[in-house]
Amino acid sequence: MKVIEVNKLSKVYPGGIEAIRGISFDVEEGEIFGFLGPNGAGKTTTMMMLTTLIKPTSGSAKVCGYDVLKNPNPVRLSIGYVSQDLAVDDSLTGWENLYLQGRFYHIPKDTMEKRIRELLELVHLADRADERVENYSGGMRKRLDIAMGLIHRPKVLFLDEPTLGLDVQTRQDIWSYIARIREENNMTIFLTTHYMEEADNICDRIAIIDHGEIKAIDTPKNLKENLGGDLITLSIKQNNVEVINLFFESIRNIEYVRDIKKSDGRYTIVASKGEKLIPLVFNIAHEKDIEITSIILKQPTLDDVYIAYTGRELRDEEGSREDNRRMDRILRRSR
Amino acid sequence: MNYFLQDVYSVFWREIKHFVDQKMRIMVSIIQPFIWLSLMGNLMSGLTNNPFAMMALGGVKYLDFMTPGVIVMTALFGGIFGGVSIVMDRRFGYLNKMLVSPISRSAIPLGKMLSSALIAGFQGLMIIVVARLMGVNFATGILGIMLILFLVMSFSLAMAGISLALAARLKNMETLFAVVNFLTMPLMFTSNAMFPTQTMPNWLATIAKWNPLSYVVTPLRTLVISGWNWTEIVQGFVYIIILVFLTLYLATTQFKKSIA
Repeated sequence: MKVIEVNKLSKVYPGGIEAIRGISFDVEEGEIFGFLGPNGAGKTTTMMMLTTLIKPTSGSAKVCGYDVLKNPNPVRLSIGYVSQDLAVDDSLTGWENLYLQGRFYHIPKDTMEKRIRELLELVHLADRADERVENYSGGMRKRLDIAMGLIHRPKVLFLDEPTLGLDVQTRQDIWSYIARIREENNMTIFLTTHYMEEADNICDRIAIIDHGEIKAIDTPKNLKENLGGDLITLSIKQNNVEVINLFFESIRNIEYVRDIKKSDGRYTIVASKGEKLIPLVFNIAHEKDIEITSIILKQPTLDDVYIAYTGRELRDEEGSREDNRRMDRILRRSR
Repeated sequence: MNYFLQDVYSVFWREIKHFVDQKMRIMVSIIQPFIWLSLMGNLMSGLTNNPFAMMALGGVKYLDFMTPGVIVMTALFGGIFGGVSIVMDRRFGYLNKMLVSPISRSAIPLGKMLSSALIAGFQGLMIIVVARLMGVNFATGILGIMLILFLVMSFSLAMAGISLALAARLKNMETLFAVVNFLTMPLMFTSNAMFPTQTMPNWLATIAKWNPLSYVVTPLRTLVISGWNWTEIVQGFVYIIILVFLTLYLATTQFKKSIA
């Protein structure tokens, strides 16, 4: 079942800035779908349209079968949204934050208390529930924020940069909570992130977006394989050119192999399934009486994919002023 | 409709929580009127201790004269900064958190306005208690005090509405503060809140007569000083009710426009 259906969606901001230029994609039920792209690529704009926060200029988007423009309230009831702003109320306690959130979703009084207790357990905040959020650490706030997004048991959870500004340990914790939540509720998760390894590990499918257009959309594995595949670099001990040529001729005939290059006396094989190719290479080397002195298998990372599609690296970007200011605020608040 | 009231209460609850939470703010709201009344009151009572001034003040001490002024002023300042909370909510992402929920859109400004009203009521009561302790006589008694509180709460609600309408469009704290200060100070000093119009130069007295603030101060002053003078009281009520509906409309439409 398709939980999110986006069809030629576009957004032009007043002033003529085309943030999104007619994107289309679907997200299946239970999927973790990642949006990857540089700052200003349109990730947050897309998410805000899907969560009914801003109106699309043209095209359509449906969440759980409801049109975000024509039928926003049922959409709102079926989604949870955790923005990158760490939007928890500092002067309320953790419990009060969840209670207020529950009231916004009109959760009946008798289920409210049970729901809040469950969520506090889930994000390990039960012992700090009656403390004001002011005293929480950045990771605790984020956990509370995520719990708030879950209070009404949404079918789809939208997470905008859920690990931004958090340390490595906390980031891992957050991902394990998210994985658990998804498993327990068969929830669909739509997320954006800056961290490539995280996207690679957690997402079932990834869309790479740049300048308001989707450049590629596939599983992380396919995206990496489509780049040309794994790189196997090897050095050999053999001076007879005839023998060497014969050796590589045989390797070239293996179906996984796409290309062989020579540089600095070393050979690089581009192949789709590097881990399966290596034993075959050894077998052939043995047959042809060639000694392999070293062999390295390198799999392309999502970073390579990202660079290939957007032409730049995610890390060395100049964010807009608003992005920087927002980042400052988040860092300040997440101490 | 049921959900609408629940939503209004949720927003209201959060604002009141914030107020109760700020012990300092509550302290200030009690101490401030005391300072106003004791400093300004004492200072002016020396100046006004003559037959002409007494006549201009309606035959009472300056302290009695200024008490309604201080109540209205406090409500004005409390209400007119009501928009700040929406700018803060926008800045920290809390507004979006409310807007992704199925909460009624109009409930957000309305809940905030009602919280301003309740806080103004509390502050008004504090001022009345302090004034009573300082010897101010309330001509219409308990019933009159209840009417004063109702008027002042409605007035603060309306001011919060204006502030929220501005905040919805300005979206920026610094500009909001500048505009609000630009509005309140002249509004304050060209009204009859602190000084009787009889002692003002003609041009100022004319401004004071048309100043919207004077419309609130006058019925309050009637209730404190002269007693049950119905024409002035009813006029004040009609004026405030119209103001409340106007600002309610203004705040909700502007807020909805700002999130569209």
